[in-house]
Amino acid sequence: MALIMHVGKPNKNALKVLIAAAYVGVEVKCTENFEMGVSNKTPDFLKMNPLGKVPVLETPDGVIFESNAIARYVARLKTDTCLFGSSPIEYGQIEQWIDFASLEIDLNLLAWLRLRLGLDNYVSLIEEASIAALKRALSALNTYLATHTFLVGDGVTLADIIMICNLYAGFRIMMTKTFTSEFPNVERYFWAMINQPNFSKIIGELKQTEVVPPIPTSH
Amino acid sequence: MAMVMHSMKQNKNVYKALIAAEYVGVEIKMVDNFEMFVSNNTPEFLKMNPIGKIPVLETPDGAIFESNAIARYVAHGSFLLGTSKFEYGQIEQWIDFSSFEIDTNLRGWFVPRLGYGTYIKPVEENCIAGVKRGLDALNTYLATHTFLVGDGVTLADIIMTCNLVLGFKLVMPKSFTSEYPHVERYFWTMVNQPNFSKVIGKVMQTEATIPLASAKKPDAKPQAEPKTKEETPKPTPEATEEEAPKPKAKNPLDLLPPSKMVLDDWKRLYSNTKSNFREVAIKGFWDMFDPEGYSLWFCNYKYNDENTVSFVTMNKVGGFLQRMDLARKYAFGKMLIIGNEPPFKVKGLWLFRGQEIPKFVMDECYDMELYEWTKVDLSDEAQKERVNQMIEDHEPFEGEALLDAKCFK
Repeated sequence: MALIMHVGKPNKNALKVLIAAAYVGVEVKCTENFEMGVSNKTPDFLKMNPLGKVPVLETPDGVIFESNAIARYVARLKTDTCLFGSSPIEYGQIEQWIDFASLEIDLNLLAWLRLRLGLDNYVSLIEEASIAALKRALSALNTYLATHTFLVGDGVTLADIIMICNLYAGFRIMMTKTFTSEFPNVERYFWAMINQPNFSKIIGELKQTEVVPPIPTSH
Repeated sequence: MAMVMHSMKQNKNVYKALIAAEYVGVEIKMVDNFEMFVSNNTPEFLKMNPIGKIPVLETPDGAIFESNAIARYVAHGSFLLGTSKFEYGQIEQWIDFSSFEIDTNLRGWFVPRLGYGTYIKPVEENCIAGVKRGLDALNTYLATHTFLVGDGVTLADIIMTCNLVLGFKLVMPKSFTSEYPHVERYFWTMVNQPNFSKVIGKVMQTEATIPLASAKKPDAKPQAEPKTKEETPKPTPEATEEEAPKPKAKNPLDLLPPSKMVLDDWKRLYSNTKSNFREVAIKGFWDMFDPEGYSLWFCNYKYNDENTVSFVTMNKVGGFLQRMDLARKYAFGKMLIIGNEPPFKVKGLWLFRGQEIPKFVMDECYDMELYEWTKVDLSDEAQKERVNQMIEDHEPFEGEALLDAKCFK
């Protein structure tokens, strides 16, 4: 069964899917020659995702967009997977951490990143609010990880895969050691996961950024 | 299996799970006596959700937070999550779309207008553009689909509809949504499904986008000029309007024995004193203060660890003072926001008519219970000096810089 993911150079959203696929033993091929800004604006692409965003997964039964949804779909392809936990409550709690990773971590981290990289007009009030919300979330996560090795149960689940991929852009570009040292349990968790074979073979080597990107001087 | 939902019931995020529960036939009870900001700050609650947000579902096997996750848990194993793996994938796709593309942008639009965040015009414009882009894509899709996935209601429809509810109720009038006729058809069909309407109730589409919260604020700074009468004549023009149901019940504070202190005189002295504040205004305050007719109170915000963003903290205090408007005739207050860096501390000084904090203020202004209140002991010179320092915005205050000082007069 050939699954094709339409995306340019795999971004952190595509990594979620590829890592999940590695865990369940399913093959996902990435399109070659995908050009961001061009390939995702064609009528054929917009039929797959009317919003024109990536990644998009093409399956024999149809198309799925939204990276978390794609990752969930891939994770469900094998019924003997433990990526969704082994009981209804574990399933609920995996979903809880997936949503937390998106709405509390990713949303705020990306808002901050977009300001500093000049993708959005820099407004210091917005940056302040985003950083405060991100710290609130990391603090809650840090408290939780003081007594948990994995987010749910005793092994990697889809919650860990999505959480790590969402933190990845943060460690790589936005959050220096000074910033993350306030959340030592998150640091421990992050590096332990990144070094798991199915993560490291997809993500490769990662160095934590030494500086925060400067405020753009002009728009 | 008894499942308990911790939240107030009228919350679109709670509707998601309650509607799902109707479809799959499980019972969810709402927790008794839920008090926002109080119940979700207890240690027991934080053990269930370390970030302290609602809703949280308590089950015999453990707790779950994040409203979409709760809804998925309730729907687990049922037709609401599709009848094939592919349908499941598409249901998840639309759930995420409704959260990231619709809900995030709608919230960014109406939350500041409700007064819970700072209104920044370009941010609102971005959110509206995001809503339009999302609704446009959804409209295109719904031109050829009745339900989001398959031929019946799934969890995708439940969550999408719940996320649209506040949009229709608060910020999107018909003139806005008529550009997305398929979304309109879809929305009204969904909210009229029996399992939806018994949870959500009747939905009325707003006639206009709600205004900014500050646009409704009455002029909070009656400056020096209006002499004695600015409060009293206000009822008169309103009394000529047909209903005039303004609370005209006599305020118990008006029945107190007369006091030699005239609150407006103090407010005028406070506002007009531009120099030698301590010698003129502070001395003048103690000269006119009547300890039998009035009382002084310190207040201390109970949740200072929340105050991590300067302008949000300032807004919170500003909102409190707006809501104190009903007490303007009987109160004077100073609120200080203290500190160089977060978390900022919020402390205040209040002068009230009477010997107690007026009951109608405690009843009508919900911010009051977010503070600890202590009556100033007038025999304690240190406390009197603290009163002085709070009136004059003394810096440093208790060793720290002041971020802001707000006056209620």
